[in-house]
Amino acid sequence: MTSIDLATPGGVTLALLPEVVLSAWSLVVLLVVAWRHRTEADARLAGWLSFVGLVTAGAAQLWLWLIHATPAGLPQMVALDAFRFAGNAIILLMAAISVLLSLGYLERERMAVPEYYPLMLMATVGMMFLAGAEDLIVVFLGLEVMSIAVYVLAGFNRRSIFSAEAALKYFLIGAFASGFLLYGIALVYGATGTTNLTLIGATLASGAGPLMARLGLGLLLIGFAFKVAAVPFHMWAPDVYDGAPTPVTGLMATGVKAAGFVALTRVLVEAFPSMLSLWQPVIAILAIATMIVGNLVALSQRNIKRMLAYSSVAHAGYLLVAVWAGTRFAAGSVLLYLLAYGLTTVASFGILASLGQDGERTVGNDDIAGLGSRRPWTALALSICMLSLLGFPGTFGFIGKWYILQAAVSRQQMILPVILVLTSVISAGYYLPVVMAMYMKPGRAESVLAAGSRLGRFAGVAVAVSVAAVILFGVWPAPAIDGGLRSGGTLVEAPAPLAAQE
Amino acid sequence: MTGFLASIGYGQWALHALILLPLIGIIPVLLVPVAAAKRVALVITVAEFVISLGLWWAWQPAAGMQLVTSLPWIPRLGVSYAVGLDGISLFMVLLSTGLMPLAVLSSYTYITKYERPYYALLLAQAVGMIGCFIATDLFLFYVFFELLLIPMYFLIGIWGGANRLYAAIKFFVYTMLGSLLMLVAILVMVWKVAAVTGQLSFSYATLLANAGAVGGAAPWLFAAFALAFAIKVPIFPLHTWLPDAHVEAPTAGSVLLASVLLKVGTYGFLRFAVPFFPSVALSPTVTALMVTLAVVGIIYGALVALVQPDFKKLVAYSSVSHLGFVMLGIWSGTVQGVQGALMVMISHGLSTGALFFLIGMMYERRHTRDIAAYGGIARVVPVFGILLTVVALSSIGLPGLNGFVGEFLVLLGSFGSHPGATTIATTGVIFAAAYLLWAIQRILFNRLDRPENEGMLDLNPRELVVLIPLVAGIVWLGLYPGPVLRRMEPSARQFVETTAAGHAAGAMAEAGQ
Repeated sequence: MTSIDLATPGGVTLALLPEVVLSAWSLVVLLVVAWRHRTEADARLAGWLSFVGLVTAGAAQLWLWLIHATPAGLPQMVALDAFRFAGNAIILLMAAISVLLSLGYLERERMAVPEYYPLMLMATVGMMFLAGAEDLIVVFLGLEVMSIAVYVLAGFNRRSIFSAEAALKYFLIGAFASGFLLYGIALVYGATGTTNLTLIGATLASGAGPLMARLGLGLLLIGFAFKVAAVPFHMWAPDVYDGAPTPVTGLMATGVKAAGFVALTRVLVEAFPSMLSLWQPVIAILAIATMIVGNLVALSQRNIKRMLAYSSVAHAGYLLVAVWAGTRFAAGSVLLYLLAYGLTTVASFGILASLGQDGERTVGNDDIAGLGSRRPWTALALSICMLSLLGFPGTFGFIGKWYILQAAVSRQQMILPVILVLTSVISAGYYLPVVMAMYMKPGRAESVLAAGSRLGRFAGVAVAVSVAAVILFGVWPAPAIDGGLRSGGTLVEAPAPLAAQE
Repeated sequence: MTGFLASIGYGQWALHALILLPLIGIIPVLLVPVAAAKRVALVITVAEFVISLGLWWAWQPAAGMQLVTSLPWIPRLGVSYAVGLDGISLFMVLLSTGLMPLAVLSSYTYITKYERPYYALLLAQAVGMIGCFIATDLFLFYVFFELLLIPMYFLIGIWGGANRLYAAIKFFVYTMLGSLLMLVAILVMVWKVAAVTGQLSFSYATLLANAGAVGGAAPWLFAAFALAFAIKVPIFPLHTWLPDAHVEAPTAGSVLLASVLLKVGTYGFLRFAVPFFPSVALSPTVTALMVTLAVVGIIYGALVALVQPDFKKLVAYSSVSHLGFVMLGIWSGTVQGVQGALMVMISHGLSTGALFFLIGMMYERRHTRDIAAYGGIARVVPVFGILLTVVALSSIGLPGLNGFVGEFLVLLGSFGSHPGATTIATTGVIFAAAYLLWAIQRILFNRLDRPENEGMLDLNPRELVVLIPLVAGIVWLGLYPGPVLRRMEPSARQFVETTAAGHAAGAMAEAGQ
């Protein structure tokens, strides 16, 4: 336990060390890029510099975590607890993997423009602020810093009209969502006179809260639902995920989603615990709709990237089940699931990126037929990813789902878990055909894979490490579960029913 | 023997070795040259069987779990790696380990593509099967239960017949639907029990001792468990995945599916569904439902088998019929009935396994399983003819062979409690004689009217090595089932007595309200 005094500039810098490091570093990279932005080697240099920055920020984050940094007094703007550290660690990990995937991808798609990497770093800084926000203003700031960078990244492939469509759609919807969020913040401020989450919680603690606060909560929920792509606010997600360059899609589906869910959990648990009976039914309905629609629509997708986009909508539904529970257990399960889902998804998008050309809009199940005999390791890795997304025992995805189920069951809730598992069965209908195509169908000579379209050594290493982690934590989940539970515990202090044997 | 086993500390490592050996064995099978893969797999499975044989002596005929071990796995959530063996699982483990070398040996010439992954998947299947039977932690059991799916999915999907993709995904989705609902039920039960004991625990013993804590949720939880196992058994009308999966699977896959995987379902009823919720499981409504479905399965399976033109499909439907007897025995409420159910589980494993092996051998020679494509081949392949006849007679339930013992005990045990149902079930035995004898007659004995059958080769030594142990088991269990029955008796008695007591207590509590 190291107490950090947030009243001094030094203390604040220390508390925000990872964000400070990464922000400064992103400017340094931008400066380097200003001079060196002509050749592919320059793009590679920027990529590696960014990777170093992310690793450094990760190290700073780890250090804060290891010394158990806690604030002296009330945290003003950004939280200083293990829940933020864990969320940031997940975001940094996803960003680092995405950078490694981008190195070869940008060259292959002939868009090796080094400005890509500073944008990725800035998006990551935004995600970290969003995930750690202790104040609604910081929520908004983090969200905008993240979103604006991601709008640009989504449209980064200037030769593809789909990429442009993705950027425009994401921008319009994103602006719309930000509007809702901002209006919600204003109403909550009007009702409570503060934007600090803990103070809002204290002010609202008595009674059900005034109408203005309830309206504000509703608008906040809509804003978040847009950002995490919960049904019925998900319409943008498939087109955007599909059109954006694949490593960016990977980052959007994992990092952006992680930041959104961490922030949503924190806002609900810290600022609105007294209005539990108000937001729980809303989250439950969102969760049910998201699980059912996401899974059903994913069933009918023909190309794999779009299928993964819808499946990420479905996974947002599973995560909402965890948010619904609102206990320490649930907060831990949000983190654990984000890590499990993130590792698997980012690896899947990495493999997908290595398979096709032209933004992989074309890679369907028929195109990967026979992959099992032509590229056995790639096929094995993708199979493990599919099984993990399906939630099959032995993979990290199962541990995540199992943990979410526990969180819901521990609140005496049966309907949400049952819908969760039933929709998981539906998801077998689109994850398994991928496996089936790779191993059980004969390959075609003219498939898109004929061209040597690998992404290079480092992307391969990143994917291999992620897949290995998916298996490792699937078989030996105790450390991940401990970490998740302990980090969740810093957010929700009231012991969950049966505090799970502290 | 007992002294020797004790001197090598057999009891401490045997069960772990049974799981670890095939798991680790996957690595050499994948790494050796293609031609050697099958031999390595054979060595591993034979070693596995030899290790498992010691259980026969190391395990003492008594009720309750023996050779238990429990190591923490996810301590915070009460999950442990816990294994143990009782009189029910002992024979299931021996059946699994005994069939594995035969499954490998029977694939020697049948499998010609992707040999290394094939044998690796067979070993993975063995891990799941044995794990299911010895796990005494519900989380561990669930993991193994699901692990059964993946290898079989690939075995059917890659090495299966023409319609294999459909069969594979149907098998997977059906089973997964049931098992995921069971997962929710397990979690609900764990949290309800934890509310009483103050400790999260997935341990079988803890859950069994405190199963009363589930209260009013018991019917729902029983339904979830029962659905998962009923799909696996399969109980009519949830059986439709079975003919597809059986027919499309390669020989070894069909054998393991019929002989072991279906038993996981009935084992689940004996181990979990009924002992956890006796007041629901043995209530008049549920009993009537299960007994009716069992009898419907017996008759329906037999009638559908009667009209199958495909011999493999015929045997597949006969499984539906035989497993009906197991379900009837479980719900008989008598020690004889439960012992009979266990005997049918073993007998069906041996007889149907042997039948699938024989069908595979026919198929390798003539590339058809159509009964009409054969006829009079007993004259061409006499050894094959003799073995097929013996195995078919055992499946029918001829006295002196193994099938008779189990079915007789089931009928004897259930007649007292369900006379009407038992009477109808008895006709199932007659139908079994009808469909199998008729099939055999058309395959072996009619006129030899097809020239292409005249050149059929009789069984080679390797195929005899596959079949002889099974036939020996069939005869031994038929003539001298005493040692087996003696070992299963305490567990069967415990099952009957504790569930009856639980049911009575539940009924009293209900009457009290």
